[in-house]
Amino acid sequence: MRKYPLLIIGGGLSGLAAGIRFARFGQKVLILEKHSKIGGLNSYYHRQGKLLETGLHAVTNFARPEDKHAPLNRLLRQLKIPRRNLVLHEQIFSEIIFPGRASLCFSNDFNLLLQQIKEAFPGSTLSFTDFVAALDQYDPFVLKANISAREYVSSFLQDELLVEMLFCPIMFYGSSEEDDMDLSQFVILFRSIFQEGFFRPQGTIKDLLELLLNQYKSFDGEIELSAGVDEIFTENNRISGVRTSAGEEILCDNLISTAGFPETRKLFHSADSAKTFSNSNAEKISSRLSFVESIYLLGQSEIKYLPKDRTIIFYNLADKFTYHRPIDPIDPSSGVICFPNNFQGTEKDDVVQLRVTHLANYDAWRKAYDNKDKSMYRSMKKFWMEESKKVVGEIIGNCIENIVYEDSFTPVTIERYTSKLQGAVYGSPDKIKDGRTNFENLYIAGTDQGYLGIIGSMLSGVSMVNQHILNKT
Amino acid sequence: MTIDEIKNVILEIIQDIDDEADLTNLDPSEALRDQLDLDSMDFLDIVMELRKRYQIQIPEADYPQLATLDSCVNYLMPRLEAA
Ligand SMILES: Cc1cc2nc3c(=O)[nH]c(=O)nc-3n(C[C@H](O)[C@H](O)[C@H](O)COP(=O)(O)OP(=O)(O)OC[C@H]3O[C@@H](n4cnc5c(N)ncnc54)[C@H](O)[C@@H]3O)c2cc1C
Repeated sequence: MRKYPLLIIGGGLSGLAAGIRFARFGQKVLILEKHSKIGGLNSYYHRQGKLLETGLHAVTNFARPEDKHAPLNRLLRQLKIPRRNLVLHEQIFSEIIFPGRASLCFSNDFNLLLQQIKEAFPGSTLSFTDFVAALDQYDPFVLKANISAREYVSSFLQDELLVEMLFCPIMFYGSSEEDDMDLSQFVILFRSIFQEGFFRPQGTIKDLLELLLNQYKSFDGEIELSAGVDEIFTENNRISGVRTSAGEEILCDNLISTAGFPETRKLFHSADSAKTFSNSNAEKISSRLSFVESIYLLGQSEIKYLPKDRTIIFYNLADKFTYHRPIDPIDPSSGVICFPNNFQGTEKDDVVQLRVTHLANYDAWRKAYDNKDKSMYRSMKKFWMEESKKVVGEIIGNCIENIVYEDSFTPVTIERYTSKLQGAVYGSPDKIKDGRTNFENLYIAGTDQGYLGIIGSMLSGVSMVNQHILNKT
Repeated sequence: MTIDEIKNVILEIIQDIDDEADLTNLDPSEALRDQLDLDSMDFLDIVMELRKRYQIQIPEADYPQLATLDSCVNYLMPRLEAA
């Protein structure tokens, strides 16, 4: 029977980063990935001879090379990837727009946001400065009980519109909780979105994934694809090993699961072990939040009708910005519109891309998908995409035409390809901040540990290996 | 290993962690972290590299003894003798 000092469930960004970290110091590690491709939530597929990314709008946490303590540069050092080997394209600027009420632009220069707030919310300028000063003092990495970010932010900022506008991008880019979030998560996201900002690495997510995979392999890290873990075995409060979908049993000293907390619970087949792992049932600890993501490829002639300077637009049309599972299959009244061509210095392409995200109702999509009448799901998709297009047209001031190709994925698609229950992109609302479980050699990394997004999930993989496994045996 | 050899090992490891680190004016009696813009994550790399290269196990409780170049030498000298 094979045995490894470390086994990792999942070849998404957190699993790859964790693997690199452990392999780097010469120890044997195996990543088991269920899917035939690496990347997890952030992967890619081919259509129309084009490579389409499943989950990349923008990478957060932009930092200049000389800023050595910035999360991005720390992460790269940890992975032993020289910063100068990467070409990063910064955003032009992004906008939060609540039409008819206010608009706030922000870029990788925090002063733009300060200036915009000064103009749109003159009465809140001083309290915003105090608020930012308080956040700067806040250490989100010290473990503490959850604090409501909504209450905290409102204790500084009296203007409810400003509060909602700040929450809009932050929630869309990383809240697993409905209508509120933990203050530590808020602080991490506020920094990574507003104070650091957005970029895209040169090329596509495939290049980034290959860079990580090659790095992992150069340290003799092992990875197997189409090799899902079906069951986790225990022995006296410890994990002894796993069984793969091919029926092989593999032993390990340590196990890191990046599959998600409720998803990992399902891998314990004995009721006792599942209970030891967690008392709450899987449904209860899954998030209710998921999204529909649409990708449009537009002919070059369309470019003159699209915004040329904005990289991402976060919008809300409702009287009150809400962030929860909608009653309808999707809620087009708020969303994110991303223009992947609008990053500084990106090459001109023959097609223009547009991506749109809305909150979605998992149950509604699941019901349609499971219906005997297979056309149900397709027609539901078609109907809601038309609704979405109308709204997007309103926001960008032109209807989207000349569509060469369009595709959208629903919470069911996300669940099918990443095994995230209910398509919960941001995982369970109950984060395992220290990564520990009731089994002394099983750790949770990635989305359900608490760091989100591309940089966040990689930092999670790195930190869990650093804190719990490296130099511990 | 001699004092200078040990110092060189440490400097080489630091250069490997951050190839832009400026090692020319290091004060051997001052904390490495303050002089080099390193954080605790980088610091762990020094420990792990020593372990990988010389099979010496440095428990967490001893990390403070690696704070300066001089203290590294003092700490590592007896341990590297075997290596
Ligand atoms: C539509 C969309 C857009 C996004 N946009 C952005 C963005 O613009 N910027 C950004 O920073 N982030 C974005 N994200 C979020 C980002 O993709 C995720 O936060 C990040 O990829 C999470 O990585 P992870 O490793 O924690 O989890 P995952 O990517 O979910 O990795 C877990 C892996 O485990 C595998 N797995 C599950 N169960 C098993 C099993 N039993 N056995 C073996 N393997 C298993 C899965 O197949 C998967 O590969 C987006 C996500 C989506 C869905």
